Amino acid sequence: MADEDQYRGDDQIDEEEEETDESGYKTVKDAVLFAIEVSDSMLTPRPSSDSKKPAEESPTTAALKCAYYLMQQRIISNPRDMIGVLLYGTQASKFYDEDENSRGDLSYPHCYLFTDLDVPSAQEVKNLRALAQDGDESKDVLKASGERVSMANVLFCANQIFTSKAPNFLSRRLFIVTDNDDPHGDNKSLRSASTVRAKDLYDLGVTIELFPISRPGHEFDTARFYDDIIYKASPSDPDAPAYLQTDSKASPATGDGISLLNTLLSNINSRSVPRRAQFSNIPLELGPNLKISVSGYLLFKRQAPARNSFIWLGGEQPQIVKGVTTQIADDTARTIEKWEIKKAYKFGGDQVAFTPEEMKSLRNFGDPVIRIIGFKPLSALPFWANIKHPSFIYPSEEDFVGSTRVFSALHQTLLRDKKAALVWFIARKNASPVLGAMVAGEEKLDESGVQKFPPGMWIIPLPFADDVRQNPETTLHVAPEPLIDQMRYIVQQLQLPKASYDPFKYPNPSLQWHYRILQALALDEDLPEKPEDKTLPRYRQIDKRTGDYVLSWADELEKQYAKISAHGPKSTLVKRSAKDRTSEVEDAAQKPYKKVKVETDEQGVEDVVRAHYQKGSLSKLTVPVLKDFLNAHGRSAAGKKADLVERVEEYLEQK
Amino acid sequence: MADKEATVYIVDVGRSMGECRNGRSVTDLEWAMQYVWDRITGTVATGRKTAMMGVIGLRTDETSNELEDDVHFSHIAVLSNLKQFLMPDIRKLEDELKPSKTDKGDAISAIILAIQMIITHCKKLKYRRKIVLVTNGQGRMSDEDLGEIVKKVKEDNIELVVMGIDFDDPEYGYKEEDKDPHKAENETLLRTLVEDCDGVYGTFEQAVAELDIPRVKSVRSVASFKGYLQLGNPEEYDSALRIPVERYYRTYPAKPPTASSFVLRSEPEAGQEEAESSEAAAATQKGSQSGDAGLTTVRTMRTYQVEDKSAPGGKIDIERDELAKGYEYGRTAVHISETDENITILDTFAGLELMGFIQTDQYQRYMHMSNTNIIIAQRANDKAALALSSFIHALFELECYAVARLVVKENKPPVIVLLAPSIEPEYECLLEVQLPFAEDVRTYRFPPLDKVITVSGKVVTQHRNLPSDDLLDVMGKYVNSMELVDADEDGDPVETFPIDDSYSPVLHRIDAAIRARAIHPDQPIPPPSERLTKFSHPREDLIEKSQKHLEKLIEIADVKKVPPKAKGRKRTRETEKPLSGLDVDALLHHEKRVKISPNNAIPEFKQTLAQAENIEAIKDATKQMMVIVEDQIKHSLGNANYDRVIEALGTMRDELVSYEEPASYNDFLGQLKDKLLQEKLGGDRQELWWLVRRNKLGLVTQRESDQSRVTDTEAKEVSLTKMKE
Repeated sequence: MADEDQYRGDDQIDEEEEETDESGYKTVKDAVLFAIEVSDSMLTPRPSSDSKKPAEESPTTAALKCAYYLMQQRIISNPRDMIGVLLYGTQASKFYDEDENSRGDLSYPHCYLFTDLDVPSAQEVKNLRALAQDGDESKDVLKASGERVSMANVLFCANQIFTSKAPNFLSRRLFIVTDNDDPHGDNKSLRSASTVRAKDLYDLGVTIELFPISRPGHEFDTARFYDDIIYKASPSDPDAPAYLQTDSKASPATGDGISLLNTLLSNINSRSVPRRAQFSNIPLELGPNLKISVSGYLLFKRQAPARNSFIWLGGEQPQIVKGVTTQIADDTARTIEKWEIKKAYKFGGDQVAFTPEEMKSLRNFGDPVIRIIGFKPLSALPFWANIKHPSFIYPSEEDFVGSTRVFSALHQTLLRDKKAALVWFIARKNASPVLGAMVAGEEKLDESGVQKFPPGMWIIPLPFADDVRQNPETTLHVAPEPLIDQMRYIVQQLQLPKASYDPFKYPNPSLQWHYRILQALALDEDLPEKPEDKTLPRYRQIDKRTGDYVLSWADELEKQYAKISAHGPKSTLVKRSAKDRTSEVEDAAQKPYKKVKVETDEQGVEDVVRAHYQKGSLSKLTVPVLKDFLNAHGRSAAGKKADLVERVEEYLEQK
Repeated sequence: MADKEATVYIVDVGRSMGECRNGRSVTDLEWAMQYVWDRITGTVATGRKTAMMGVIGLRTDETSNELEDDVHFSHIAVLSNLKQFLMPDIRKLEDELKPSKTDKGDAISAIILAIQMIITHCKKLKYRRKIVLVTNGQGRMSDEDLGEIVKKVKEDNIELVVMGIDFDDPEYGYKEEDKDPHKAENETLLRTLVEDCDGVYGTFEQAVAELDIPRVKSVRSVASFKGYLQLGNPEEYDSALRIPVERYYRTYPAKPPTASSFVLRSEPEAGQEEAESSEAAAATQKGSQSGDAGLTTVRTMRTYQVEDKSAPGGKIDIERDELAKGYEYGRTAVHISETDENITILDTFAGLELMGFIQTDQYQRYMHMSNTNIIIAQRANDKAALALSSFIHALFELECYAVARLVVKENKPPVIVLLAPSIEPEYECLLEVQLPFAEDVRTYRFPPLDKVITVSGKVVTQHRNLPSDDLLDVMGKYVNSMELVDADEDGDPVETFPIDDSYSPVLHRIDAAIRARAIHPDQPIPPPSERLTKFSHPREDLIEKSQKHLEKLIEIADVKKVPPKAKGRKRTRETEKPLSGLDVDALLHHEKRVKISPNNAIPEFKQTLAQAENIEAIKDATKQMMVIVEDQIKHSLGNANYDRVIEALGTMRDELVSYEEPASYNDFLGQLKDKLLQEKLGGDRQELWWLVRRNKLGLVTQRESDQSRVTDTEAKEVSLTKMKE
């Protein structure tokens, strides 16, 4: 069956890793439709409070920027998921092939489907950016209608978009951005029509998420209208514990446009991905005959750029090529059906075969479970005992009523007593059993009280004896106290903010660069020159804060080294010349071959190479010297001698 | 590379080896072979060409060895010379190692032959030489020239291992009662010989007991990074600090062997002429039961297609060489020519650059993202070792971790790593683990566990989802009573997690199964050894110790299991309400939606059911849905509407099951299938039926709903029945 690929779901690249598809018949995808109100008050720019940045931002443009930002972000993080932008309250109307110029009545007057719900195309990204950044088009589109728009109609318009464009999606969400907390006032029929249409959306499995914006002088009050529209539970996941704290928080009314944008952005950001379980409702066995149910989530997962794909250039536009795999027998090249395939292991030059049932039974160590084997002090968990990211678990009442209170009791106990549980963990049917350390995690909030890390337990998979490598041999030279003292001063100078690591501060530079370039190519724009890399250390600050300490540490190192070194200090290569005072610990003389070949006891590789470069005689140097030089500067040392010389030249030319 | 190995096994197959002794149900030979096969297959499993084995049969009926003319060397047969063992060798050996009809043959002579075999094969090359003798110590052994043997063994650095059946071993604590004095003499002889050769002497009791300890493959690590630990930028600042370091794995997940796919070789004639026909397929299927002979490998073939609305079937095939490389940006294809291949790669230079330091107590252990590594100073560089040591100790004394940016090779993507000091009496290093980037964190929010916040924003501390003080109290006691206290060999408590003692269950299970199947192809696979599942349940003593707290905990926790069939049901048919609690149903009633409209079918179907006052209304709603679904299929261009159809079917199935009307769904599905079969709904709709099956939307069975009379088998049959070919 050739079409099988199409439905297999591209998400399941790594069977062991990916979240499971326990959604039954639903496709594990997410569709987000922004519904952004366009009204006079939404279009009124709010000045910046910061006089240095006089940028103005209206609630509508702020919302569009958020949509644009989310669109870009999802191309990276969820390349199969859909996003769309619907403006409402506009003077103009547009819904697929209908607009004001169409014949007959408009189905959805004052609704303007700006970006159709789909995996975004480069052109759509470009259009949305133009609209958000006051392009020419925006003047026509972003014009408020004099007439009042019916919320019932807006909701039904969204309903139709979801029904036709994202059928059978597991997650469908409508993001409403508005500053109007009471669109229909006392008009009972319009109100009740809206609530009925909202119920339709709920029954269709669409979650409405409200991003309310307060107007100057008026706090957004959800009780006036939106509490009738929004439901407690998520329709696609009725058992998911609802997080209510921030949902009712409106963006600030104070006139500042930038802070409005930032609040909105962080609100949307926190809901950018729908919550997907790694496993649902599996038993957590506290002891024989005491089970509760929990669900697991992956809160950390390495995000990597999508692999490159085949492109066909024969059409009008470059097209993605879909590969279809068929399995054929090696002898006759006939196509093979799945049931014909046998599995065998190579052993002693032969095949040792197993039936499919046997293959299954080899991996079967029982039903999914998290079983507590005992408890240990948290301090017994070594730093190095780790093989991959953890799973986060949170109680569910689905299988066992009372799970939450028991889980909470265990959570509080482990936190208080600083203990961890040793667990036997099988995440799903036929998954490899894992021995894990289950540790309790506290809820972490950011400055504005928004949750950063949820309260719950983390299962950290432990390495098996098979996964532990032996330390390679080295000679031990324990640093004497004076040297440690000097190093301590250095360490004390460079604490990160709050003395903790905040992952949100460090976007992945190579991932971002990859998509920046792709975006520029896709949109036919100039390539960006320099990447933004927050992971690069702040060299100037390091020099300012630690420079003197480093130099005295280096002096101390010389002294101490002289004591242990049989040769005395003559082999020192810490260059303290005025030209280059890099406190290098590198010790070329230590390595015999260098000593022989370099023939320069006093000069380091560095100086030799530089000297040859000046004379244009780099090729006279030996390969090991060139390699050492390149390695010392973090350059690749692979390839033939000519390549090495070229790379050294390239490096020194830049200086 | 591991060292070359040459091991000669001397297996005693004398008549007395065919007897069962000391209450065992297996013969001495069978017992001994458990050990020998384990060793041999263990070596074969490595697949190493340089791991050579040879086998000598002792007390065999025949004599075949290079000194066979000498009477001292009679009843000894070289069954296999030193070579890499493959499956045919194992099969041959399995045939040959049977108890003989004689008890003649001298073990010491066999050792001499084994030494000779090793000397001939290994010459003076670098080998790990080993001789393993397994015997029950019966029969005659000569004690002549033992000194000469010891000299040879030591000279050639051969490890001599003697494993005896029911040999006394005071170290292990085994002593055979009523030992035959002749055997005792032999034991003493062998023991002295082994001790003189600095070899290993053991009893089978121990060897067999330890067989199920999985062997952990030790892997010699290669540095994954050699470069500098840097603080500051040496290109720009004089004050930059650089220490040459190397990085090695500390942990790395060992993977079980991977199986490859095979199919039966086609029958020459049937294969060529009728490979496609179903009869031929059935014939091959039958053939598979008759044996595994004639397997052929499975190859994967890829074909390439692009969508083209104008082409028949909506797709056109593309040849492999017409393809270019590129990436997807959203749904736009971005072509990147070969010359620009690296355009999306960030320029980086190798190095381990310090970004800053954090306090250990401010770090959350769950942020560990990867396996761990160690960082040590460049080897044979004393100054670097000294420098790194000062860094390690400074971190330790200040209770700090370092955060650093690691690029292992030029132009590789940077990762952020956490560096922790590790100081042991004989070893110092930095431990390293990867940290998440912003993109790697998913912000899913969950309500607090120690309080409940109501819809109105009120904070509640007494709630059915919160533990009472009693529950907290008994939980604390239970956790205490389940504290794992492990002891090391000296009986001192060990305060670490039991990592050294835990073996990857899947890896060793598969490994053991392959070896078992290789020796005994006809036997079922043995169950996993107990050592592999040692940590699958709490220890008995712990359960006992904590019993009374657990009972109390169960009582106070009062957890109630939800019966399986009640799961996911609309327990009271009470519909969900919006935040305000407004009764939308009343409004809906008021609106009177008479007919389900096709463009809002799913919500209206659900609402109609919610308001249905009798079964007729439910049936009517189902009928309306049926018309809508059929219409969607009929008007579907290719598979365009299939997802909508599946969603509708899934919704109907779920709803009708929860309203206890599965028969309506089953009737409907039966009719739908007939229509699809007869191609009444716009031609060939095979793919749609395939989707129905794949999404498990077939008949509702008894297991799922008490009201259904459909059995699993019936349901399977309905969904499996092939569409018309």
